[in-house]
Amino acid sequence: MICLSKNEQGAELLAGYLSRTLDAPRMAELGRHIQECADCRGLASVWERLDEFAVPEVSPGFDARLYARIASEEARVSLLSCRRWLWRPIAPLAAAAAVVALVLGFLHVPGTPHSAKQASKVEIEQVAQAVDDLDLLTPIDR
Amino acid sequence: MEAIVALERDAQLMLNVREGDDTSFGFLLERHRGPVVHFLYRMVQNQAVSEELAQEVFLRVYRSRETYEPTAKFTTWLFRIATHVALNSIRDRKKEKGHESLDESSDEMLGGLERQVADRQLTIEQEMVRDVKLREVRQAIEALPAKQRAAVLMHKYEGLDYAQIAKVLSCSESAIKSLLFRAYETLRDRLAHMA
Repeated sequence: MICLSKNEQGAELLAGYLSRTLDAPRMAELGRHIQECADCRGLASVWERLDEFAVPEVSPGFDARLYARIASEEARVSLLSCRRWLWRPIAPLAAAAAVVALVLGFLHVPGTPHSAKQASKVEIEQVAQAVDDLDLLTPIDR
Repeated sequence: MEAIVALERDAQLMLNVREGDDTSFGFLLERHRGPVVHFLYRMVQNQAVSEELAQEVFLRVYRSRETYEPTAKFTTWLFRIATHVALNSIRDRKKEKGHESLDESSDEMLGGLERQVADRQLTIEQEMVRDVKLREVRQAIEALPAKQRAAVLMHKYEGLDYAQIAKVLSCSESAIKSLLFRAYETLRDRLAHMA
């Protein structure tokens, strides 16, 4: 018999042997081979070594914690759907208001050439106003 | 036959959950809580983290109830979620801390947990020998690439067959056989001195 540990098909058979899922004749044949073959015994011993990796018990509060998380998530989801339901009648109005706000916002966005021109105009007017005021005051000083 | 019955039972339970039967979710949790937590524990080697991840897995199962379709075996679907969650966690922990052989918390827990699962009849010396062996097995598994580790754990401890593992890891069956072969060979080399 060709050594099982030398190829993948052999390793698959060996895994089948170790997990005892093969039929009886195959189990007996592989058992004899493993007795004689050091490589296969090495691979077989890995399977047995892995049995030593014990695991702790699941914490007693595991289910309670999970159900609490589920309940909290359910509450959040129902709150969201409630909000959505409340928003539904005024959603078209809100959308229209948003569009209007956007258009107005676009018209008055600082930094655009149009608004810069307007800012400049305001500045000139303010200066002019100030100058006018000064002009008004000047004759008094004199 | 047993597998088919199990498939029908779990899938049927999940379909019941989809219809709003929360008792069926309780049955699914009862059946799969242990395997999922244990798989995640062996993946991340930290009890608190593994339970947190397992909660995430069952939460995702519950969230998916309305869209669930029994297209694959329930356990395949469940372990696909668990593996995804575990691989993400491992990746995030690597990013946060850099690669470590065993983190401090799992090292701290090691003694306690080993004793928790220990046979109370063992002598102190036997217990120490067993602890050393367990530590070596844990380190050997932890040193495997995450995908190989997941495949070995599902194959060895959870009884998933090649086809199921292939679906969980989105690979072909032949790729899984070759992945497992390499993983067992690596483990043999690392654990050779223990034989």
